[in-house]
Amino acid sequence: MAETLTVEVMFGGGAELLFNKVKRKEIALPPLKTFLPDSQNQNWTLKELLIWLKDNLLVEREELFLKDDSVRPGILVLINEEDWELHGQLNYELKENDKIMFISTLHGG
Amino acid sequence: MDRVSVLETEISELRRILKEKENELQELKSLISDQQSSKELNNHSQPISDASKSSVDACLPKWAIERYSRQILLSDIGVEGQVKICSAKVLIVGAGGLGCPAAMYLAGAGIGEIGIVDYDAVDLTNVHRQLLHHESNENTSKAFSAAESLRCINSKIKITPYNVQLDSKNAQQIASAYDLVLDCSDNVPTRYLLNDLCVMLKIPLISGSALKMEGQLTIYGYRRQDHHQETYIGPCYRCVFPTPPPPAAVGSCSAHGVAGPVPGTVGTLQALEAIKYVIGRTERHLLVGRMLLFDGEDATFRAVKLRPRRPACVACGDRGGGRLIDYEQFCNAPAKEKDLDLEVLPPENRVSANELNVMMNNEERGGRHLVVDVRNEQEYAMCHIQGSVNYPVENLHRNLEELIEKTKEFDGVVFVCRRGNDSQVVAKKVLDVTDKERWSKVKDLVGGLHSWSKNVDPDFPVY
Ligand SMILES: [Zn+2]
Repeated sequence: MAETLTVEVMFGGGAELLFNKVKRKEIALPPLKTFLPDSQNQNWTLKELLIWLKDNLLVEREELFLKDDSVRPGILVLINEEDWELHGQLNYELKENDKIMFISTLHGG
Repeated sequence: MDRVSVLETEISELRRILKEKENELQELKSLISDQQSSKELNNHSQPISDASKSSVDACLPKWAIERYSRQILLSDIGVEGQVKICSAKVLIVGAGGLGCPAAMYLAGAGIGEIGIVDYDAVDLTNVHRQLLHHESNENTSKAFSAAESLRCINSKIKITPYNVQLDSKNAQQIASAYDLVLDCSDNVPTRYLLNDLCVMLKIPLISGSALKMEGQLTIYGYRRQDHHQETYIGPCYRCVFPTPPPPAAVGSCSAHGVAGPVPGTVGTLQALEAIKYVIGRTERHLLVGRMLLFDGEDATFRAVKLRPRRPACVACGDRGGGRLIDYEQFCNAPAKEKDLDLEVLPPENRVSANELNVMMNNEERGGRHLVVDVRNEQEYAMCHIQGSVNYPVENLHRNLEELIEKTKEFDGVVFVCRRGNDSQVVAKKVLDVTDKERWSKVKDLVGGLHSWSKNVDPDFPVY
């Protein structure tokens, strides 16, 4: 059996409500080509991870998580506790044991 | 019983007199302190301290040294820090769950001037977390109620309440009198307004937020100029969030709830960052370019790294800023805690509280109706219409089919929720999979349980 890639996804700030209230979960991603045979990329990036999350973990209104092929405005994406802007956003290539967080911003007070 | 009401009347009369005298005293004191404070604390122009330039301790009067000694003892603060604290001016926007603890600590620490902005009135549902407001302040201005409590904490400082809704027209005039702003607001348009305002005035914005069991905190638009005239500027709110979130994704404390100590924690930390900024700590120690995520459910704090300032930012970028816009339009949301009034269903699929009451009491003629309450389990446990069943909207991705099967046992179904928004959303989902001839049998309660309480059952709690 081909190797899987293990990463941890975390949801907070209300984003977990879209994922059946799961706040953290370790996921094992199959080889990219078995999940998305047509993918341009050789390896998993954030872009494919979003598709995988949509297909496998998202249970609620997709428009509250995704917009176009990225996350919707107001969700902060963190790669190992750093803003994904610092790491190439959608093009970031996932590594074993990466921690990817999706934090919805809060506005209450 | 007579004695009880006599005492209550007497006490409220005494309270009124007490308040009058307190106001009079307050006015007199502020007159005197305006004259004195410029002598005592604004040391820079004072001849005595000019003579002994390096010994700043000459600048603090005896009462201040004694009163603030516990924090002056810290090497972080010291006399020099306390002098800065005493001459600092901080504007707090929002006298709610964040603003109250923030203001309490800043007043306690002796911040020279505190402005507090809030257009809203005290509601009893606020008091569990907004600890500057007391039961007796119900229905009075939050800004005034907060100012009154703050004066009880520290009569030596200047406190200015602003009982207004901050907007693009009045914001600049109010904020320009202050050195920094605390965003303790509860809505998206105000957050963008404060960001653009602070960028424009070149003052930092200490931004806190809280909902349910979670809180977030960071400082936007921090600027520092060093001796070589090099400027460091941290990211602003728009650098990180250039586009406002869709209104449907924004939660509110009134709709989703909040545990009091959660905004209490965040507001307290806002005060701490404010004090650190005032005494001159830089981005190396402040929450600049970092965001603190507090999860009260797991008792975890996590400081994550944010992106740097974006040179292309429309607010703080090289060619950005310069004017305030219509933020309600920009965010497609009102500048107050959101209570949407959705219109998802056509009028023929909606019933009023009175109509529902008649339907429920007239089954022989109108047929049996299933009343489905779509609020969450906690809300249903607090109060519900007798005979209703609970199918929380958040679980429907699992049990929508089960619900639809159940409705088939009845002649009709009426969905209810707190205010009549979620009930429409669920009714729509059911309508989408219902045969056309049964469409008129699927309805929702206009105005939700608020309307039920107002029109049918006055004993039903409004929350
Ligand atoms: Zn910016």
